[in-house]
Amino acid sequence: MAQRTTEIIVGLFMIAGLAALLVLALQVSGLSPKAAERTYTLYANFNDTGGLTPRGKVSMAGVTVGSIESISLDKETFQARVKMSIHAEVDNIPADSSAVIRTSGLLGEQYIDISIGADMESLQPGDTFYSTQSAMNLERLISNFASGK
Amino acid sequence: MLDRIASLGRLGLDIVASLGRSGRFLAGVLSGVPRPVTGFPLLVRQIYAVGVLSLAIVVVSGLFIGMVLGLQGYTILSDYGSESAIGQMIALTLVRELGPVVTALLFAGRAGSALTAEIGLMKATEQLSSMEMMGVDPLRRVVAPRLWAGFIAMPVLAVIFSVVGIWGGMLVGVEWLGVFEGSFWGNMQSSVDFLDDVMNGVIKSVVFGFVCAWIAVFQGYDCVPTSAGISSATTKTVVYSSLAVLGLDFVLTAVMFGDF
Amino acid sequence: MGSTAYISLKDVVFSRSGRRIFDGITLDIPRGKITAIMGPSGTGKTTLLRLIGGQLRPDSGSVQVDGHEVPRLKRKALYTLREKMGMLFQSGALFTDLSVFENVAFPLRVHTKLPEDMIHDIVLMKLEAVGLRGARHLMPSELSGGMTRRVALARSIALDPELIMYDEPFAGQDPIAMGVLVKLIRDLNSSMGLTSVLVSHDVPESLSICHYACIIADGKVIGAGTPEELKAHPSDQVQQFLQGQPDGPVPFHYPAKDAGQDYGLGGHT
Repeated sequence: MAQRTTEIIVGLFMIAGLAALLVLALQVSGLSPKAAERTYTLYANFNDTGGLTPRGKVSMAGVTVGSIESISLDKETFQARVKMSIHAEVDNIPADSSAVIRTSGLLGEQYIDISIGADMESLQPGDTFYSTQSAMNLERLISNFASGK
Repeated sequence: MLDRIASLGRLGLDIVASLGRSGRFLAGVLSGVPRPVTGFPLLVRQIYAVGVLSLAIVVVSGLFIGMVLGLQGYTILSDYGSESAIGQMIALTLVRELGPVVTALLFAGRAGSALTAEIGLMKATEQLSSMEMMGVDPLRRVVAPRLWAGFIAMPVLAVIFSVVGIWGGMLVGVEWLGVFEGSFWGNMQSSVDFLDDVMNGVIKSVVFGFVCAWIAVFQGYDCVPTSAGISSATTKTVVYSSLAVLGLDFVLTAVMFGDF
Repeated sequence: MGSTAYISLKDVVFSRSGRRIFDGITLDIPRGKITAIMGPSGTGKTTLLRLIGGQLRPDSGSVQVDGHEVPRLKRKALYTLREKMGMLFQSGALFTDLSVFENVAFPLRVHTKLPEDMIHDIVLMKLEAVGLRGARHLMPSELSGGMTRRVALARSIALDPELIMYDEPFAGQDPIAMGVLVKLIRDLNSSMGLTSVLVSHDVPESLSICHYACIIADGKVIGAGTPEELKAHPSDQVQQFLQGQPDGPVPFHYPAKDAGQDYGLGGHT
């Protein structure tokens, strides 16, 4: 085969590889082309984060508005402190909203749902949610039910 | 008894000697600065031979593996009513593990054995010797382009494998079994991270490509130049490459995804 | 060193996998002449060529080519020296993925920066010299054994070397092909002033074209000189080889234990 034909085919091969990588980036891992979206940070303290993991989603009324950045233990209160990054355009979360840990489906992954408050003031970057509701613990629920409490 | 111990010792020495030879061989191959003018066409031809010609088997295997993952995943996940997690399962399995590993195994069988046989036959027919006597270093002229070609072609093949596999899984999950397309992709996108999952998979396949190509060209270059020698070298290429890929996969997974 | 000796080996000792192949060989190969190195199969004649070409290193002794001490040459110098050498391998060793033309052009493309039309002319000239200008589009797999060797010969003279080494050029050739090769070797030597080293066990052909010959057996040179001197050599071993007698100083039997013992007869010793 002529060298030129080979070169063209190999070029197409490399392009196919790059295209496949692009598909993995955009379609599979949901990397948006507008790169780093502008976000601001909020915190929430929970008694029990259950199976919450970094990179999990934060949603309001079922719409994803941000993601969990990190989870750490507050050594003074022995509570879990969750750091979230919220999309910059959602800048009017009422200050008395609460962060609730929910599970998608029975065994799906856990995420934070923000249930809306009624305050006129909104949370500012760096603020902490006033009220939170920890993960529903299935085992505890069942044992409570069984012991009739 | 002493004979047994002695033969064990000889085996150990043989292994160490062969590792040493392959290391020196690699140094000899890589020490040469590639000359772009003459080197590039050779490299292109080798990428064609090891990469483009392996594309068919990689695409077909990827499609079937993705479809099987879709079927199996659906059966298991639907017991818990979470069949929408099927996209996430397929994508993570393929991108992290099956893409790099199965591609490397196919590569060792399809391209690695061919490389070994080709170089071994060139050795047996004195082509390498005659090149050396013409003042051309066969390590740079024959071996280096093949090594680099494997190194370059493998990640490309692995990425294509993953994409085709995910497409196959979607075909089964969404088109056939009726999982909602939105939750298929949505679940996938929320759980697959580009750097942690996709790029780590690509790094794996780069490592596998290098190791498979190295084993293949070394076995060819080091073989006993007879028909029996070439056939045993070809077998060794496939066996050693597969073992190396699976072993390294464990090590790389532990380093990349392990929580320690 | 003498001005006439192009290659000189002194007390060369070489052993491979525990077997001593050369046990102190001393040999001078004169410039511009054809020297035949003969000997029974398995005496390491090809190994000798590899020592000269620097592909193998002797355990001790010196191998000098054109005044260079080959075993001590650095890689780069060795490769430069090899550009002055041509070697014709027993199998021809053509590159099977290249056409006849490209095979002959290979050393030119690698070692020179000649323009394409000049390479074209040189290749055709070399192919013309071996009578295969018309076969330039064929692939090596389409050639007969004799033609393969002639193409390989054209390739090894592509860079106009000073030295050409032939490894068993006559082995397995039909009489016509053999005649062609004999003529080619003689013509090339006289027209290009090459120093030729010919390794062979075909006694009549070798003796008919060489100026000097030497016979190697058991790791030593057992006879050397012009063809006439050799034919009158007093050694039995030399005579046995030249005349092809089955038994003599080189025994018919490979060294073995006493026959009776091997067959389990003769009781305990």
